[in-house]
Amino acid sequence: MSQVIGYIGRKALMSIRHVLNLFAFAYRLFALAFKRPRAGRALVRRVTLEQIYYTGVQALPVILPIAIIVGSMLIVQFSKVSGEYNPGKTTVLLIVRELGPIITALLVILRSATAITTEISYMKVFHEIDAIEMAGIDPMVFVCLPRFIGIVSAMLCLFVVFDLASLIGGYAVVWLVTDISMGDYLDQMQKSITLADISEGILKAVFFGITITVTCLYRGFRIEKQITRIPVITSKASIECFFYCMLINVIISIIFYL
Amino acid sequence: MSLEVEAMNLIELSDYTLSRPEKGNGLKSFHFSLSKGEVCAIHSDSFDDAHLLIKALATLVRPLQGEYRFHGQAIEFSDYRNVLSCKKKIGYIASDSAMLSNKTVRENLLLSRCYFENSLLLDLDENVSRLCSIFGIRNKLDLLPSEFNLLDLRIAISIRELTKSPELLLLERPEDFIKHSRFDLFMEILKDVILFQVPVVFISYDINFVERFSNKKILISGGRLQSVSK
Repeated sequence: MSQVIGYIGRKALMSIRHVLNLFAFAYRLFALAFKRPRAGRALVRRVTLEQIYYTGVQALPVILPIAIIVGSMLIVQFSKVSGEYNPGKTTVLLIVRELGPIITALLVILRSATAITTEISYMKVFHEIDAIEMAGIDPMVFVCLPRFIGIVSAMLCLFVVFDLASLIGGYAVVWLVTDISMGDYLDQMQKSITLADISEGILKAVFFGITITVTCLYRGFRIEKQITRIPVITSKASIECFFYCMLINVIISIIFYL
Repeated sequence: MSLEVEAMNLIELSDYTLSRPEKGNGLKSFHFSLSKGEVCAIHSDSFDDAHLLIKALATLVRPLQGEYRFHGQAIEFSDYRNVLSCKKKIGYIASDSAMLSNKTVRENLLLSRCYFENSLLLDLDENVSRLCSIFGIRNKLDLLPSEFNLLDLRIAISIRELTKSPELLLLERPEDFIKHSRFDLFMEILKDVILFQVPVVFISYDINFVERFSNKKILISGGRLQSVSK
């Protein structure tokens, strides 16, 4: 029995230490983002733009159809219960507040988080991080900061794109197969969407972006020097990102509900 | 007098202990110093121990105990940022030297300058271009490192390290690192580096290379720096 309690205790302490390390890592990134070191600014700016392109622009062909499918799916379902619920309001609530940020986060995790964890682990295992340091360059500035800014910005943009595509595109699809009136739907949406809904969605998107980047970068940097650990670390980082995003989603939802 | 001697040392490692890596013995409480103009050959019963020493000199390994002085100033290993300025002054040509795989070789060669001069519009300086031409990689510079063959990649790494104006040069088995047909060229360049009084530490199994360049030898046996001779 004492062994079981000991095991649980050790696991709990390890988890707490891991989360504290993530916070410390996030703090370093925030400090760098606000300090904006003069050296390497041009290089950092270029890598940031590349990251926005990879995470944001290249994700559009994936996120747009998914947003339209999710939007049309919800609108079709709510049109069936339009007597009991206001479909416009329910769709806005679900998409802007809940599904928009979480599905965007899921797509970013699947596309970019896995890529970043693999890339950083690879750089670590094959001594590329050492090479950066031997050039006198701080890897936190050159490797982490651009990815941090890039992914958070891309996440925010993708969230906006997802919401718009889901609400408008979804309706366009539904318009072809149902008899929901465009005027009524848009009117309901306009009346039901509030600043709090938009703020909640934006807040979630920003927090998800921060969480995903910090977790993946941290996991990538912590890898031992074995190439066989890369897929394991990547898988762990993705699951961890998704878990944290769900947790943050609930916390923010509760804060806004209260 | 001792202060004068200390001031002459470029690097000084005192009471330095390095943990045992996956292979090898680790290195136990040793002293090592190097002054300008010294060229030190490492002999070891275990290549891993010699490699560990080279990595430690490059400040890539944290000691379990001991002090590393660079230009007389103790390096604080607790924060990696304190070590970056020293690393920048050390040329490290070893089996685990790497290039960034997502940048072209040209971008790799320009990386440090682009970063510190804060510009993306720089071109290779004359010395780097000359060495690239001499070693026959000039027309391949816009390829990614993964598109290079291993020997050309090692040459590119050597050029990067030699042209960063190192204050300390660390070499690991240069005879294996540089293509045989170009090894004489490399030795000529190394001779020039040594003429500028840049201290060099190297591991080599090429007796001619050791005899030609070294003016100091150390022996590592059983994880101990056993003898130092000039």
